[in-house]
Amino acid sequence: MADSALKASIFQRLHPRAYLERFVAESVRPDGRPFDAWRDVSVNVGSISTANGSALVRLGETTIVCGVKAEIAEPELDAPEEGFLVPNIDLPALCSPKFKPGPPSDEAQVLSDRLNEVLSSTISLSSLVIHPSKAVWVLYVDATCINYDGNVFDAALIAMVAALRNTTLPKATYNVESGLTTCSRTASSPLKMLKTPVSFSFGVFDATLLADTTAFEEPLLDTTISVVVDENGDLVSVVQLGPGVDTGAADTLSTCISSAKTRRVVLGGQIP
Amino acid sequence: MALDRRRINGPEESFPPVFDSDALQWKLEDARKDRSPDDIRPIFLQPGLISQANGSAYIETAKTKIACAVYGPRQSKNTTYSEMGRLNVEVKFTPFSCVRRRAPMRDAEDRSIAVAIHQALVSSVRLELLPKSTIDIFVTIIESDGLDGCVASGSVAASTALADAGIELLGLVTSCAASVVGKKLWLDPTEEEARLSKGTLVLSCMPALKKITSVWQTGEMKVAEALGCMDACQEKCTEIHSVVAQALLESAKI
Repeated sequence: MADSALKASIFQRLHPRAYLERFVAESVRPDGRPFDAWRDVSVNVGSISTANGSALVRLGETTIVCGVKAEIAEPELDAPEEGFLVPNIDLPALCSPKFKPGPPSDEAQVLSDRLNEVLSSTISLSSLVIHPSKAVWVLYVDATCINYDGNVFDAALIAMVAALRNTTLPKATYNVESGLTTCSRTASSPLKMLKTPVSFSFGVFDATLLADTTAFEEPLLDTTISVVVDENGDLVSVVQLGPGVDTGAADTLSTCISSAKTRRVVLGGQIP
Repeated sequence: MALDRRRINGPEESFPPVFDSDALQWKLEDARKDRSPDDIRPIFLQPGLISQANGSAYIETAKTKIACAVYGPRQSKNTTYSEMGRLNVEVKFTPFSCVRRRAPMRDAEDRSIAVAIHQALVSSVRLELLPKSTIDIFVTIIESDGLDGCVASGSVAASTALADAGIELLGLVTSCAASVVGKKLWLDPTEEEARLSKGTLVLSCMPALKKITSVWQTGEMKVAEALGCMDACQEKCTEIHSVVAQALLESAKI
């Protein structure tokens, strides 16, 4: 028994593609899921007291912590009535053997940029103004990956949105004479969110559509598709990286979109 | 400061909020707030949470939250031949881990904590069995409540992760911090308590072998006080040792 398990894990390391192909031929994935099944999501908010808002998200084994820190800055000259939303994701060497310590990897840069694009629709920057052209809030939304087991984009978006929904800002007043902004220790208010987008990512392996891919499956995919849906079932963003594929019955992209919408309804209750 | 194009950037300058009233502070004469002087914060320790790593541990002591992963032993890169294995410790604070935001730049604080943890562990690992290899220990501080606590908890987590990775050790390393506040000795100080204290000491040892691996003392302290701290810490380290052993045993059962 132990011997055959060892042989399987060596085969997986040496021939990952053949390993996955054999599973797909049996209509199952290496972790026992059917092709269209998602891993469980758990969200825990507000556990970090040094942040204005925080969330810990687990998507299967993938783990992301996100904290929001609010600071005060002068707005840009050309946008005096707009605050700042600064999302970044860090993929430290801690989370996977494929990352090295140092500046953000290409993957982290791409993820940060995609997260920034989606998050910009969730908050109206004008709601972050304390005093026009003098003082605005800057929300630093920093996510750190603790365990990298695939589909980090979906997990990071859930973490960032949950952390923002958990964020409260102290009541701030700008003193015109002194030019100083002071905050109240007692009065605070939650952030106004316009949308709750959730992302659903798919991968295509040998003309088979896989939902919520793991770190083992990800490098073997030909195409990845991410569909971001808000709480009304409306599309926020659709991204396809890689060639379009024919997976049989319907058009792949429409299959993904309808599957994402169904899953959004199921997840609705679980995301605070 | 140069603009870092590899990250999403905010405004050039931003400042933490200034509050209209100071947070409640307590003075030297007051008694310790929520525990007695020789109590340490409760420890939650979970080995093996990071599935991608060879070994890992997550430790939580009240507000302090630290994740640690061990990769290796793996082939040393860009280094000359060495008979002994290398132990490499990297510490990273998340930007939201402290009261003031830490911009994602490496500063001296990460390094000094990494050196302290390295020192605490290096004599417990049988590096002579691992020629040409490196063991990487990555520590991410998710929330910090006192640097001394981070060094102590970080060392405990790292030693647990090494054991979880199945790397040969002479013994488990446990670590405890102490501070001298006024004339009293407070164990495991929080950030606020460390600020009040005149000196702090972190002691790391292998309780099973009754051997000290590192003593890290900062600030001013009388010799008698330092010895008192070391005695108190060593006693607590023995208690922490059973917590670590229990956690490892339970994770091995599953």
